[in-house]
Parts: sequence; structure tokens; C-alpha cells
Amino acid sequence: MIPEIGHFALILALLFSIAQAIFPLWGAQKNHAGLVSLARPLVIGNFILVSISLGCLVWAFYTNDFSVSYVANNSNSLLPWYFKISAVWGAHEGSLLLWIWILSLWSIGVALFSRQLDDEDVARVIAVMGFIAVGFLAFILITSNPFERTFPHFPVDGHDLNPLLQDFGLIIHPPMLYMGYVGFSVAFAFAIAALISGKLDATWARWTRPWTLAAWGFLTCGIALGSWWAYYELGWGGWWFWDPVENASFMPWLAGTALIHSLAVTEKRNSFKSWTLLLAITAFSLSLLGTFLVRSGILVSVHAFASDPERGLFILVYLLIVIGGALTLYAARASKMESSHRFTLFSREVLLFINNILLIVALVVVLLGTLLPLVHKEIGLGSISIGEPFFNQIFAYLFVPFALVLGIAPLVRWKQDKLPRNKSKLFIALGLATLFALTCYFIYAIDHIWTLLGVSLAVWIVVLTLFEIMQNGNLRKLPLSHWGMVMGHVGFAFLIAGISLTQFGSVEKDVRMAVGDKVDLGRYIFSLDSVDSVAGPNYSSYMATVSVKHDTALFKLFAEKRFYQVQSSVMTEAGIDPGFTRDLYVALGEQMSDGSWAVRVYVKPFVRWIWLGAIFMCFAAILCIADRRYKSVLSLRKAKTSTDGLTKAV
Amino acid sequence: MKKLRLLIPIVTFLFVCIFFYRGLFSDPRDIKNASLDREFPAFALADLMTPDLKRTESELMGKVTLVNVWGTWCITCRVELPFLTQLKQQENMRIVGVYYDNAVDAAFGPVDVNKTRLEVRQMLGQLGDPFLYNVYDEKRDLSLDLGITGAPESFLVNKQGKIVWHRRGDINVRLWQEELKPLFEKLKAE
Repeated sequence: MIPEIGHFALILALLFSIAQAIFPLWGAQKNHAGLVSLARPLVIGNFILVSISLGCLVWAFYTNDFSVSYVANNSNSLLPWYFKISAVWGAHEGSLLLWIWILSLWSIGVALFSRQLDDEDVARVIAVMGFIAVGFLAFILITSNPFERTFPHFPVDGHDLNPLLQDFGLIIHPPMLYMGYVGFSVAFAFAIAALISGKLDATWARWTRPWTLAAWGFLTCGIALGSWWAYYELGWGGWWFWDPVENASFMPWLAGTALIHSLAVTEKRNSFKSWTLLLAITAFSLSLLGTFLVRSGILVSVHAFASDPERGLFILVYLLIVIGGALTLYAARASKMESSHRFTLFSREVLLFINNILLIVALVVVLLGTLLPLVHKEIGLGSISIGEPFFNQIFAYLFVPFALVLGIAPLVRWKQDKLPRNKSKLFIALGLATLFALTCYFIYAIDHIWTLLGVSLAVWIVVLTLFEIMQNGNLRKLPLSHWGMVMGHVGFAFLIAGISLTQFGSVEKDVRMAVGDKVDLGRYIFSLDSVDSVAGPNYSSYMATVSVKHDTALFKLFAEKRFYQVQSSVMTEAGIDPGFTRDLYVALGEQMSDGSWAVRVYVKPFVRWIWLGAIFMCFAAILCIADRRYKSVLSLRKAKTSTDGLTKAV
Repeated sequence: MKKLRLLIPIVTFLFVCIFFYRGLFSDPRDIKNASLDREFPAFALADLMTPDLKRTESELMGKVTLVNVWGTWCITCRVELPFLTQLKQQENMRIVGVYYDNAVDAAFGPVDVNKTRLEVRQMLGQLGDPFLYNVYDEKRDLSLDLGITGAPESFLVNKQGKIVWHRRGDINVRLWQEELKPLFEKLKAE
């Protein structure tokens, strides 16, 4: 009965979404206040219905209702309760439902927190979001119903959740990622609303910024969690594999990063309007594209969901309508968005634009690298595969100018500036960066050119960021969003330093170890103390105890090899000793015929800094959103109605 | 002119969509292989780990054998290795590897075979070693004869040395249960 309620609520939600897509927009265009005022109740109704639906699915999982085929395929009565809940989004149907629920969450957020905006504008935004929801609800109801029953012969027990996904990382990684993906729909809806109404002023940009920042923060967090999960769960010792699905999440991130910077220009300088709109459309389009790539099985990936051309075709048609429609509207209307503002060649605008271009180039590289195998095959040149070396090399080259400009831009004034004004600061930063690189080279004997370049670029950014803070005078008066920028940039410095140090400084050894054997790696001595059989709730495992000696310190690592009975698959749980300057990493391999074990040990310097950088960036987004000026939009709008044209002066 | 520039995004997008549409209906794994239903091509290649040992196609006779073309550089092969190992242990399947070295290209200069061996040993130690032995297809002659388009690719060879089944992409539980297992049992009984 419960699953049927969930299904029914979903059908009602579709009807609500259709109404939400049509009436508010109609009302806004025809100046019909009654229809416009329908927007908020419809959004709230939609949210309640989708929540009921999701709740029903969660309940079906929690109570082991194996008559629901989605539950039977992805859960098992032995599964701990928290994995039963997270199994809801462990496969295609349920994760799609989560996607829709998050969309309704963002919609209700827009509806509740935008009372200061004109009702017509909000109505347009909500209508666009309703339109997006219609497509996804139709998709889930027609091709991927999570409530389908297995009557009359339902299984006694479930097929279990994929063991790879039975992990804390999975509980939060997809929701975070979807919050990011779907969050860009708000910026998208704002962009479409602006194109429809032809109104795009500083208020629009100021209003779009916190939503975009929130989505970007969630996406950053989601990607970082995914990377962290891959690091300790897959047992390959890496943190990024340029897998098509990773790329699918990275592309919206790049577009989103460009967007939050371009929005700053649009808000403060009333410029880059058409570019900002295009980025807002692009960021969400890439989120949708990611969904298409993952769900259609068009690309070969580790992450692939069950692929099905029917589903793929559905999403493709949907993409054509949403993205194609948005870009057509853009082509038709964007020329009306005039950017009145002028600036000279050396100004913050231009520097931000350069970084925007670099981000877009990076985006195109990822897009090409992901799609080229497909295109290559379809034009009859045979299958090819594009991997890490291609991406790593190009990104290494793109990082350098990007980091250089990132350091300078915040110091440079809007509109026009002269290079000599900041010359001394730039020289000091350059000097310190060089000094640091030389220290690394001579004292720590780091001799890899990219590592040295990476750490010196990080120093460059940090030093220039410090200069930028100091030149502002009274630090207490600095708005929170300014601290957000500082934090984001410092986070990026951590990220580059982490990547360059761990990429070229990691040492690893694959060894055969019997109990009692020792192996040296750098200044660390690893010894295998014991290998014991352990029984988990739904798996059995071998747990190796490895003790590590470093100077006088002695600590233990536990690496596991788990065997999950129901799906008869083997999983590696790496033993990791995390540290600020290095991670020690032990993964247990196969047992040899003589009873010894294949063991892989790593020392990964500064690998934590990569995620630390991402955490900084997430906090940066929070700081920016918390800024007071986003709460003062009300007064701005009031001022606008009393004296027209004041907004231009802001 | 400015109007035209604004058309670039939509035109690019539509162009990409054409490929998406075509890509949907062609399974990246499903291309018919020309070697199917023929004798396994003749070869005489060195064993990857013991180069003095020459391997030939005659060793494939007498027992149903899965020939797996792979390389350490191939991500999907990583995913596939543990399952192949399971097949070897549980089904007693004879699996022979054909090692396809990605670095072999005139442009990259001579190949460091020792480095390859080290990588192979590490990867098999980590993920499981399903192979009875590995043939080192240094000049890619065998891969060419087999019509390989990428890695991993697998061929099931019957007792008479004829290729009866081919798979482009990974071998997984579902494929094993639906396709490979029935065929394997049938060939074994022959």
C-alpha cells in the first residue's frame, strides 16, 4: 500500500509541476495577479508531494519490502539500517527521485526567500523550475518507476546493495553532488526569466549570486567527497581518475566557478551581462548533460548505471527541449542585454575575464576528452580511449596562467588601473615564491619541476592574498563576502600545493609479505603483524594489522579485504593513517599460494591538502552567502521603485 | 555580426546532439569481430614474464580457454581482473592473457619491458592474477590479427582452437550468468 501512495504522490506532483510551469509564467506575461500568486502554493504542494513519495521509498527500504523490485535489487535484510536508507539513492530510479526531491527543495527555497523580489520575476523563475521538474517527473514515471512491484512472486531476500556503495561516503556524496547539480537550476531559471522579461540589472545579479554560490559550494563539497571516497574505498591510491562520470561533475563545477566570478562583474560593474547569462545556462546544461551521460550508458565508465537506450533517448529529447530552448532564447534575446560599462585593458574586469576564459578552455578540454571517444567512433574512426596523461598534461599548463592571474586580480582596481601601482607587491610575491621553491629544492630535495612550480604558485597566491587583505585597512569592516573570496583563493592555493606535492612526491611499493615481514619506505618501516578473519554484518573479511615505525613513533594500520556473500564480490578497505603533511596507506591484495600476502604500501605527502582546499572553498561559499548585503536587497528594490535608475549607480 | 555570434552556443549544442543520438543506438561494446568462428590466428610470441619461453596457438588446444587482451594502463581491465580471478578459482577456467602494451609506438622510442613487467606484477598482485600465462604482443601482430580495437577484449576458444565467442569490454557477473556460463559449460561437455 505504502509504495502505491508514493507512486500516486509522484503522479500528482507531475500534475502540480505542469501547472507550476504554465500558470505563473502566463500570469507574469499577461499581468494577471491571480495566476502569479499561484506560484508559491504550487511549489509548496509540489514539495510536499515529492517528499511523501521519497518518504514512501525510504519506508519500503527500511521495512525490507522486497515486493518492490527496486528494493529487492538494491537492499538486503542483513544490511545495517543506515545503508538501507542510503541504498534509496544507490541506483538509477531512487537517485532520480532524490534528484527531483532536491529540485523541489531548491524551488521552495526560492519561493520562500524571495519575498522581496517582484512577484512577476519570482513567478517566471518558479515556472522555469516547474518546467525542469515536469521533464524529470515524466522521465521517472515513464521509464524508471522506483515503486514497481515484483508481484506475484517476490523474493524472500534482496540482492543487496553494491558493496562499493556500502560506505559512509555514499551516504552523503550523492545528495551533496545533486544539491550542487540541481542548485544550478536556480541560476538557470533566473537567467531564463531575465531573458524572457528582458530585465537584467544589478539587483538581478545580486539576487542570483547567493543561490549560485550555494550550489557551487555543495558541488565542491560533493566532488571532494567523491574523490575522498575513491581514495580510501577503491584501494587504487588515487584521488582523481578522469573517469567520464567524474568529468561530468567537474564540467559544471568549472562553469559554475566562472559564473560566480562573472556574476561579481555583472553586479558591481553592470557588465558582462550576456556572458553571465550564457554561463548560467551552461552550468545547468552541463549538469543535465552529466545526467544524460551517466544514465544512458553512452560512455563506458566505472560508475555506469544500468544502461537503456529508451531512457537515453528520453533524456536526449529532454536536453534538446531544455538546453536547446534556452540557447535559442539566448540567441534571440541576449543582444538586448547591453553592457553599458567601459573598462581599460588593465583592469579587474579584464583579469577576471582572462580567468573565465581559462576556466572555459579547461571545460572544453574536459568536454572534448570525454566526448571524443564517442565522436571518434561515430564518424567511423574506431574506438579510442582518452586517459589521464592527456588531461594531466593540459591541466598542468592551464594551471600556471590561471594561478598567476588569480593572485593578481584581487589587487587590481575595477575599470582601470596601472601596473606600476602594484609592482613592488608583485616582486615581493615573486621573490618569496622563488625563495620557497629554492628551499624545497635544496633542503627538502624536491627536484620535480612541476612540484616546484606548483608550490611556488601556491605561495604566490597566498602572499598576494595577504597583501590584498592588508591594503583594505580596517579588517573588522571588511564584509564577510570579502573573507569568502580570501578563503576560496587560499583554498585553491592549498589545492595546487597538495596536487603538485602528492602527484610527483608519492612513493609506493608492492610487496609480498608474510606475517612478521618488514618493508622500508622512505623513513617509514612497515611490518605485517597479523592477518585475522573478521565477520561483519553482511560480509566476512581478512583484516591485516600493519604497524608502522617512524623514528620513535609507532602506530598501527588496519587494511581489510572484504568478501560480500550476497553479491559474491570482493572489496578492499585501505588502512590509512592520515596526517597533515603525509598519508600512510596500506591496501591488502591477494593471498599467495605460500600463505603470504600481496601488500601495497604508499606514502602520500600532502594529499590531505587537496581536500583541505576543497573544505576551504566550501566555507568560502558559506561566508559569501552569509554576507549582510544579500539581505538588504529589499531596501535596494524599494529605492528602485522610488527613484528609477538608482540601481545603475549601485 | 553580433547576432551571429550569439548563435554559436546553440549550433554547437545541436551538433553535439547528433552524435549523442547516434551514440545511443550503437553499443560501444557491440561491434562484430571478424575473427569470430575462425581458427585462433597463428602466433609465436614470447611469454611476458619469461621471455625465453615461446608461446604458440597450439597451447590453446585441448581445453576451453578464455583469451583476454589487457594492459595495466586500462581502467576497465582493473575492474575486470578480480572477477576473472574468481572465474579461474571457482570455475577452473583456463585464462590466457595477451598483454597489449600501450607504450609501443615508434614515436615513444624503445620500450622498457622491465618496467612493464614490474607494473604487471604489481597490478596482478593487487587485484588478482587470473592468467595461466601472459603472451607479450610486442609488435601487436597478434592484436592486429585478432582485430582488437581496445582493451579489454576477450575471446573464448574451444577445444579445437576455434574462436566461438567474443566480447569487447569487461566480463562481469551479469554477462557471465547470461551468456558466458551456458556457453562455457556446453563447450566443456563437448
